[in-house]
Amino acid sequence: MLFYLYSLIAFAAVVALIFAVPLRAKAWVSLALTAVGALAASTEAVRVLACGVRSRLWLFEGMPFDGETASMDPLSALFALVISIGSVAAVLYSQGYLRHYLDSKSPAHVSLHYTSLVTMCYAMLGVVLCDGGYSFLFFWELMTIASFLLILFDAERREVRRAALSYLIMMHIGFVLLLIGFVRVDVATGSATFGALGECLAAHPEQQLPLFVLFLLGFGMKAGLFPMHVWLPEAHPAAPSHISALMSGVMIKTGVYGILRVMQQLADLPTLHTAGLILLGAGIVTGLWGVMLAASQNDIKRLLAYSSIENVGVILIGLGIAALGMAEGFRIMALCGLAGALLHTVNHSLFKSLLFFGAGNVLSKTHTTSLDALGGLAKHMPVTALLFLTGTAAICALPPLNGFVSELLIYLGMLDGIAAGQQPLAAMAGLVALALIGGIVVLAFTKLFGTVFLGSPRTHEVAEASEVDGVRIAAMALPLAGILAVGLFPQGAVAVVTRAAEVLLPDAAATAEGALPPTFTMLCRTVWILVAVIACLILLRARLLRGRTVAEGPTWGCGFTAPNIRMQYTGESYSEGLQSIARPLTHDSGEGSPVSKGEIFPAAHRFDIRHRDRIGRLFSAWWVEALRMINGRVMRLRTGKINHYVLFALAFLTLVFLLSILNLL
Amino acid sequence: MKALNLLLLLLAALAIPGLINRTRARLAGRKGIRFLQHLYDVRLLLRKGAVYSTTTSALFRLAPSFYLGAALTALLFIPVGDLPPVLSFDGDLVAFAYTLALGRVALVLAALDTGSPFEGMGASREALYGALAEPALLLILATLALVTGFTSFGWIFSLAPELRFTVVLLLAAYVLVKLVFTESGRVPVDDPRTHLELTMIHEVMCLDYCGTDLAYIKIAGWLKTAALSMLAADAAVAAWGLRWWIAAPAAVLLTGLSVGIVESTQARNKLVRNTTFILTVAVLAALVFFTGYLLQLNLVIR
Repeated sequence: MLFYLYSLIAFAAVVALIFAVPLRAKAWVSLALTAVGALAASTEAVRVLACGVRSRLWLFEGMPFDGETASMDPLSALFALVISIGSVAAVLYSQGYLRHYLDSKSPAHVSLHYTSLVTMCYAMLGVVLCDGGYSFLFFWELMTIASFLLILFDAERREVRRAALSYLIMMHIGFVLLLIGFVRVDVATGSATFGALGECLAAHPEQQLPLFVLFLLGFGMKAGLFPMHVWLPEAHPAAPSHISALMSGVMIKTGVYGILRVMQQLADLPTLHTAGLILLGAGIVTGLWGVMLAASQNDIKRLLAYSSIENVGVILIGLGIAALGMAEGFRIMALCGLAGALLHTVNHSLFKSLLFFGAGNVLSKTHTTSLDALGGLAKHMPVTALLFLTGTAAICALPPLNGFVSELLIYLGMLDGIAAGQQPLAAMAGLVALALIGGIVVLAFTKLFGTVFLGSPRTHEVAEASEVDGVRIAAMALPLAGILAVGLFPQGAVAVVTRAAEVLLPDAAATAEGALPPTFTMLCRTVWILVAVIACLILLRARLLRGRTVAEGPTWGCGFTAPNIRMQYTGESYSEGLQSIARPLTHDSGEGSPVSKGEIFPAAHRFDIRHRDRIGRLFSAWWVEALRMINGRVMRLRTGKINHYVLFALAFLTLVFLLSILNLL
Repeated sequence: MKALNLLLLLLAALAIPGLINRTRARLAGRKGIRFLQHLYDVRLLLRKGAVYSTTTSALFRLAPSFYLGAALTALLFIPVGDLPPVLSFDGDLVAFAYTLALGRVALVLAALDTGSPFEGMGASREALYGALAEPALLLILATLALVTGFTSFGWIFSLAPELRFTVVLLLAAYVLVKLVFTESGRVPVDDPRTHLELTMIHEVMCLDYCGTDLAYIKIAGWLKTAALSMLAADAAVAAWGLRWWIAAPAAVLLTGLSVGIVESTQARNKLVRNTTFILTVAVLAALVFFTGYLLQLNLVIR
């Protein structure tokens, strides 16, 4: 019991500290508090990953979590690393990002935000360290509530409150699903940990599939699995940018972590094959849906949110391939899929944090995130542009950056399956989907980078933007370092994720031996050749141009003599070709109308279009109305008169009495 | 051997544009320009200075180097027949496709950097067609992996004489030639000789380039075409169990003649039909994959 008391005292001390320090120092204090936890967790994580051991951290004694343990195995160590890096970067970024808000928000408001931020970081660590059970659920819920408060930072805006509320509701639906799952396990085995889940699954073969689907839905709600992804594109634009980065880069990965833990318990069971097909199918649909919608968006943060959904899809494709490989006993396919999914989880947390920070820079300097209002920022914010470009290239899985390494691993799993004739059709479906996703991601992100940073500024506010402060750049350098490290030295990263994969595949190291290290050593050589070739060509070009006339002039207007900025290609027009294909997925709403073909001398037109998710409409359609109607009927009982309420109580007691007489209770 | 491989690839890259021009001229009843005229053109470009648009940033100046660098690196994965490629590892099929994508992204962003509506139009089309062609390319490469059991170009084609999937390999070669049309901006997808900016795809993206940068882009285009043609030739040559000394001239003839003939006899697609064209190629690729799969099942059952 003392443990809980100490935890409460520590929490109270943290809250008191954040509330007590002066306004300007809150960010630094929170950074210090987060860094302590992050440093402790990552030191332990590095040790665990280096030795491949499982370290017991603590044992809960006394109710409510009696007998449950927290420990760190290589899998949780990998996620703890992701969380530590993401959290520290996000808190550091908030120092610069929130500075402008300090005057407009009350100190208590800011303190609440920072308290939630620190709580959120520790709650995420708690989620990946607890071995399941109610302590896991406790941290899971703590994480949800903390992130709910974090989204609410700009609570004066109506759409923020709406987004936060829908987030809270959806997360609780997921929470209830998980609770049902864990209680079922508790009833069957007397304990609710992930280990007990394994026993329960082994003992009751008929429950394997229902329990797997239940957990997949529960965790998928957090991860943004189709069709439960609708909260993501609402919550990210509403939240401050560092929160979007933390939620998108790190928090949704806890959903992936949960799915991995359930998969681990299924490892030797016959249902694994079906589970693999479900994961692969879910990944393909989620990925394609996410990327199609991402390419259609015309708001930076919404686009990035849909791209997170797409990346979760890619991770699930990897997991599906891994599960199929495990079910077939084809170890190399399983290892490549699993290692690819794990590495993509790490990679996505790096480049998505970077991109959301970049979006935050743009938002704070230009006060808009609408693509078609921006343009030409590369000249005004060169460092942000360069960092954002690196993130863009990484998320497009282009060599020599990190996204390529993880996608190559997933591809390798599928190609190995195809080449060896193991599950070739499933692997082919995954391959086609991943290739198409890869192609459309390029379209979506060239649209994003091209419209925001290149060309000419579309409004004069944009033309007056300036570079952000050094703190924010430093926060962005943290994920950048990770992107470059994984991209340029892929063998190291692959060795680390192979270690983490051992939790699911006990002989992963032996499988990898002789297959992965030579491949990735060659890949390392290849990316350095690529870098060297490009560098040589740049030098050659500089040499050739030396001493020649290098002039400047206007862009060639193809004979048109009065080009203006409004003629520039917009993001909307850039993705028009894809939208003709993606139209069934979106529900378009807008104001005004485009210039029609019959207008020879077009008058002034104002045209604004939004491509909304069809699934989002599904969630606000008939059944919400039905709920509202039922609610209205029930509200009729609330008359406000005591005598009525006494009558209800009497009726209830009578009902219970009758039921017990009739033996129905 | 690796040096010979690279040398043959570079020679093929130089010969293909010449042969295309020559074929087209002969079919039109003309004598045609010099076989190596394109080399002289590029030499001229390399000697020029440059004019840059005031709208552009540093990205515009560096993009051609990335485009050419990516094309050069992609070339290193390609074997000529059963010769070993310079770089070879499991999954280099994917590395090849994504290295080409790096070049495409560089050029698309450079086009958007000019702020010109025409170049934006070209960039938009290039990005869309590239995205749709990606599954087709990877499907064909996966088919090669399926029928050979290997996941790197070097191993796949080194086995050439022992392969038994003549039909599948020939079909794969056919789809790869179609992909050459798409990826190197040829009729029926794009017309490199068009004079109307509104209908261009690849050419319109480079409107603001001149001198060294334009030369880089042109060379990268040859290399890209050569890489894909060599793959098509490898597949065709492997179908009959032939070796590298056939593969190298086959690549030049296959692309040179087919592109030349198609450009002389067919019209370019209406732009809206390009999507359908590329998706058809992707479906063809899927059919080839299934054919390979069925044949392989048949072999296993027997």
